[in-house]
Amino acid sequence: MALLESARTGRLPAETVAHGKPRRRGKGRRDNLTAYLMIAPMAVLLGIFVMWPLAYSLYLSTFKISFYKDPQFVGLQFYQYVLESTDFWHSIWIGLYYALIVVPAGILIALFLASFIKTLSKRMAAFMKVTIYLPAVVSTVIASVLFTFMYQDEGVVNWILGLINKAPVAWLNDPDWALPAIAVPGIWLGFGITTLILLAALLDIPESYYESAMLDGAGFLQRLWYVTVPLLRNVLLYLFVTGFTLAIQMLDLPLIMTNGGPTGATSTPNFFIFNSFRDMTPYATSFSLTASLLLFAVLGLISVVIFRLIRSDKAVDG
Amino acid sequence: MPNRRNAIAMVISAVMTASLALTGCSSGDGDGSSKNGTTTITFWQQKFEDYQQAWFKKQVDAFNAAQTKVKVNLQVVPADTWAQKLKAAQAAGSAPDVQTTNYGNINAAAANGELAELDGLLPASAFDDIKANVKSFVSANGKHYAYPMLVEPSTVLYYRTDLAQAAGLDPKSPPKTWAELITWAQKLTTSKVKGMTIASAAADLGWSSWGLQYNACGHLPVADDWSKANATDACYEQLLQFYKDLYQGGYMPKTPKVGYADGSPYGSGEVAMMAGGSWVVGQLKQTFPAMIAKTAVAPFPSMDGDATKPTATLGGWTLTVDAKSKSKQSAADFVNWLLAGDPSIMTDFFKASGYSKYTVRTSVDQALAGNADATSDPFMKVISDQVVPYGKQEPAYPWDIALAFGTAIESAMKNTASVPDALKKADSQINDVIKKQSLAGTQPQH
Repeated sequence: MALLESARTGRLPAETVAHGKPRRRGKGRRDNLTAYLMIAPMAVLLGIFVMWPLAYSLYLSTFKISFYKDPQFVGLQFYQYVLESTDFWHSIWIGLYYALIVVPAGILIALFLASFIKTLSKRMAAFMKVTIYLPAVVSTVIASVLFTFMYQDEGVVNWILGLINKAPVAWLNDPDWALPAIAVPGIWLGFGITTLILLAALLDIPESYYESAMLDGAGFLQRLWYVTVPLLRNVLLYLFVTGFTLAIQMLDLPLIMTNGGPTGATSTPNFFIFNSFRDMTPYATSFSLTASLLLFAVLGLISVVIFRLIRSDKAVDG
Repeated sequence: MPNRRNAIAMVISAVMTASLALTGCSSGDGDGSSKNGTTTITFWQQKFEDYQQAWFKKQVDAFNAAQTKVKVNLQVVPADTWAQKLKAAQAAGSAPDVQTTNYGNINAAAANGELAELDGLLPASAFDDIKANVKSFVSANGKHYAYPMLVEPSTVLYYRTDLAQAAGLDPKSPPKTWAELITWAQKLTTSKVKGMTIASAAADLGWSSWGLQYNACGHLPVADDWSKANATDACYEQLLQFYKDLYQGGYMPKTPKVGYADGSPYGSGEVAMMAGGSWVVGQLKQTFPAMIAKTAVAPFPSMDGDATKPTATLGGWTLTVDAKSKSKQSAADFVNWLLAGDPSIMTDFFKASGYSKYTVRTSVDQALAGNADATSDPFMKVISDQVVPYGKQEPAYPWDIALAFGTAIESAMKNTASVPDALKKADSQINDVIKKQSLAGTQPQH
């Protein structure tokens, strides 16, 4: 809290405390020096690997880049090209659509599993936690290959459908089904860690709240709605923000399972940019660079909106 | 105490900052291209059929053993990672000295200054040996930028004679028109075997349908001077409808396990007919020999049955030298030795391929003429006599144009757009590419 206050006032805590006492101010300066020294490696790291490349990328995006000829200055032309590209906006929509399937579904499943684990004995809970966390350590590549096999005409998914006489569905080759089909491994890979975070949050809610609610005659659904969900709100928002930002940037699953197809139905923003980069023309190099910068802006905007939501809920745990 | 703490913090931060700076700055293993009088060059070979990897390795080893002036480092790069790996290497200034390049990419790469001009680096006799109809494939503005290795028609019809007979079809009279092909596919489709397989993803359709685009309209969906798109010509509607009928009719696998270039669905008996390149002959011989006796090859059917219309493009591979290579002459010497030197080296390649590809050199043709295996293969005879003479050169325009048209075919197949709408969208996308990449008038001048 003190840190937040100082950030708002622009003054360091030591300075605030030591106001009007020269001896203490001297110590404050030494502490400042220590603090600056401690953050120096991170500042250098950010400078070299984030700030400088970002600034240089912005500069480069005003050129038509060729690795063999002198770059040609084109101003903001590529920004116009990207903003005019229907494929770019389509990919943003696909990313949002994917995130809208994966994040809420993942959180719901995780909430259900966490509530279930909470009711188990210690030993069973430990076993379940390991079991549920396992998919999180499976590589996306392996999961992609696994699910691609499962979705084949003669794969296990169509075999089950065959039992109820539904014709084989071309899961990965049907424009309506492809995105939901790749969202399933997306959910599977993510719910392990989400479950553990939610379980920790659930265990943090004092039992006395539930006991009071029960004394007041609250049923299961009422306890869930009036006790559990409000007290999980900040954790849920955190999961929503991080899940959303990660999901919209999904690359591996569409790259391996569908190559962005069929007819661009799984072309997420990162896949679209990667695919543009794979094109060998100098035009594509500048285009993919500019599209990356604009995606950065779009993701930034989404994050700003969600961070505002978080700030509005700060009082919940107060 | 505070002083001591400060000192410790200072040391830690100094060490970390220094190590960061070092990790950031220490790369550089030097270009190391010349050592003890031996020039080392890198050669990236795109991964093809297994026998090709073995052949390239054998020949590179032989080249390295035969002399000490040039040492070739061979690296095999998978096709699906080729573009990003090459582009990253170009950006870092470490592109390979020699690389495999297909005919379709030569013009764009030469225009962008990526390829070294080979005329001064290879002897003139090497270029004289190239067959007349292939010379234009490797040149731009009158200069040679690549040395060709082979040509292979992109689209041929493979079909199972036993299954055709069982379905009451005459295997000696394969389908001649697209309508007949659909009838065959329908009759050959059973609960276990699909009647046909052909490309169904935009990235495959983009290039594998070039021959059929020529077949339908006599031209590609771009004006000859690359000034505008002409994808909305009515003849293309029939092409899209043909693909759509095959897909929507359920006559082909809806979830293909492999791409167009891979003939394994046919080899393993999952389909009764297949559109595939001539290279599939080699794959069948090497991997599915039991299928040879039950297979016949025919030119891919024509829209209206006219067998003299093109159905395939003559694609193929070349070796190119990077324009920024520090050892262009050494790189060219290797290319000259491998592709333009002793004809027996390339005859060995065609033998390994099961004679499923065609030479581009007169001298290699002569060396193969006396070889019964090379001339008597019934599959290759059909392809040589009935497909190659009508084959067209691969287009040199940027891939975005081919992909836009491939996407139109896929959209029609998978019902995400009606045939006219799909073509309209492709037309506008192609015009967009022409405008934004300033393509008008930049078509190759041979």
